[in-house]
Amino acid sequence: MSKEEMFKELADAIISCKKDAVIAAVNKARSQGIAPAEIIEKGLAAGMNEVGVMFERGKLFLPHVMMAAGAMQEGVKILEADMPKEATSKKLGVIVNGTVEGDVHDIGKSIVSTMLQSAGFEVHDIGRDVPLQNFIDKARETNAQMIGLSALMTTTMVGQKEVIEMLKEQGMRDKVKVMVGGAPATQAWADKIGADCYAENASEAVAKAKELLL
Amino acid sequence: MTEYALRMGDGKRIFLTREQIRADLEAGTADAADLGSIPALTGNELDKLAEILMMPARMVGVEPGKEVPVTHDIGTIRLDGDQGNSGVGIPTSRLAGCMIHERAMGADTMELGHIDYSFKPVKPVIAQEQQAMEVCQQNMIVPLFYGAMPNMGLYYTPDGPFENPGDLMKAFKIAEAQASMEHAADHLTRDMIWIMQKLMFAGADGVNFDTTGAAGDGDMFATLRAVESLRKQYPDMYIEVGMAGELVLGMHGELQYDNTTLAGLWPHQQAPLVAKAGANVFGPVVNTNTSKSSAWNLARAVTFVKAAVKASPIPCHVNMGMGVGGIPMFETPTIDAVSRASKAMVEIAGVDGI
Amino acid sequence: MGMPITHIMTSGMSGIRAAGDLVARMQFARNMRLKDAKEYVAKKLGVSTMDLSDEYVMRELREELGIGVVTSVAGSPKGIAAKMNIEKLLDIKINCCEKFRGKLK
Repeated sequence: MSKEEMFKELADAIISCKKDAVIAAVNKARSQGIAPAEIIEKGLAAGMNEVGVMFERGKLFLPHVMMAAGAMQEGVKILEADMPKEATSKKLGVIVNGTVEGDVHDIGKSIVSTMLQSAGFEVHDIGRDVPLQNFIDKARETNAQMIGLSALMTTTMVGQKEVIEMLKEQGMRDKVKVMVGGAPATQAWADKIGADCYAENASEAVAKAKELLL
Repeated sequence: MTEYALRMGDGKRIFLTREQIRADLEAGTADAADLGSIPALTGNELDKLAEILMMPARMVGVEPGKEVPVTHDIGTIRLDGDQGNSGVGIPTSRLAGCMIHERAMGADTMELGHIDYSFKPVKPVIAQEQQAMEVCQQNMIVPLFYGAMPNMGLYYTPDGPFENPGDLMKAFKIAEAQASMEHAADHLTRDMIWIMQKLMFAGADGVNFDTTGAAGDGDMFATLRAVESLRKQYPDMYIEVGMAGELVLGMHGELQYDNTTLAGLWPHQQAPLVAKAGANVFGPVVNTNTSKSSAWNLARAVTFVKAAVKASPIPCHVNMGMGVGGIPMFETPTIDAVSRASKAMVEIAGVDGI
Repeated sequence: MGMPITHIMTSGMSGIRAAGDLVARMQFARNMRLKDAKEYVAKKLGVSTMDLSDEYVMRELREELGIGVVTSVAGSPKGIAAKMNIEKLLDIKINCCEKFRGKLK
């Protein structure tokens, strides 16, 4: 079996959302002498990307995404034995995500957190109706590279702007990227308030986070 | 080269050539066709859509004789509500608000709604809602619904009794998350039925379930069961089911209605199920992408809605509010964009109402 | 307010300015698609389907039939009274009219 075929088998195992299939594929790839980093990046992570796309297209659902993410975690655990310690603990990045103060909408933000987590980011979902300072405090505490700010209402989206201003005031703006999203947010709004990016949906949030943090 | 003034999905004015408009129309219809496995718009339909978009008038209108009923959702909140609901903050009573919609604006139907506009908070103030309905029905002539959002999110912690499935999912507690959604759906169904029993007693013409599916497949599951039960109890009740988004999000993933898995359904697949449950009118929704042009968005929305109209055994009143149905995502939507989207939905998608 | 007003001006049947409420009632009362609902109402009113959105035709006709007019005409049926006439005209039952009748001693 060629390397490319093996990567496809790994990705397909992830898409199947079955832990046993993923473990079998990972062990097979190991026995072929493929480097763990390649197994993860070109096989498992590629499969997770496809899972994200299938979720957006309504072909896979949230439980499947989580099952696939769980299966990937199991696969990575097996590979950790073959990897240097610093490589195994490496996450794609740390992201603090939440819905701004005054806005109780939770579901879209939670989907974004789930998809970011599934893609390999360390995500600290701090909930909804979150006091604005909490985003900054949590980012400090976790050494986050990105803050995700969700708002579903035109009345609350101003909180996204306020967090950016507070980051500037507290000397943190250069240390952390800011992503905004939610129904009333747009690219123009992101540009106006000086956010680093705007994401239209969960899979775009993953793509933009990778673009900015990797 | 001549350029035509169009809009981006966020409402900003842009200028495109005829060729650019055509390219965006083709890409938009192709996107819908690909996602929904439905037919793309024909060449003639795209020509007609381009013609509507390029009309020089600020406002366009349907051809005489092609008018459709325009139903109105979100109660009177657009009058007395705040910015969050595109409200204009005029302190009016709900009776005055309903009558203004009927008499000053020419709405074909109207609805009474609670300021929160979700079903759950209606329970503690149900008597207030009943008396408001009675007073309004004494004075109104157009059909008057009670309207609210199922909004199943209100049944999860910290707003409700059931553990937040989003948190459970992130902790890989999938079965627990699904169980929480099922419990929430049971309570939501029960509440919606109870509330509408009270409002039918007070003389409501019926109910408008607005933004169905906002909390995913569980939200839709609860709503369809409520529709089924209400239809059995009230054979003549007017029931409209309007959706929250184009795709039923698979938060649970396995819930079924009439042996059909709800997660992942597109508008043309939602319509027959809504009819089967017992609704009279279905309100399909297609989301607007703020990073694409009005040509792309409208072609995509018309493609989805046309397929829903074809598949539906009941009338379809397309949802055309802020950020859906080819309308820009903007608090004060531009008249040029709204009127073009409106005309296109009537004349190309063939909707039964808006 | 720009959204509903624009839709009504672009595509709507103008409610009780014309016959939009009647067509909507038939869609909800009998699950009628647009064409069927318009034909049903037009037949009951003795007009063409095009007339259903024509304020010129409908203004006088609504007053004659006692089904409510948009301007405030003294003595003309309004509210429940107008809807009771609509029930007869369209051969349907309207919930609030039923409730009203039920309260009469």
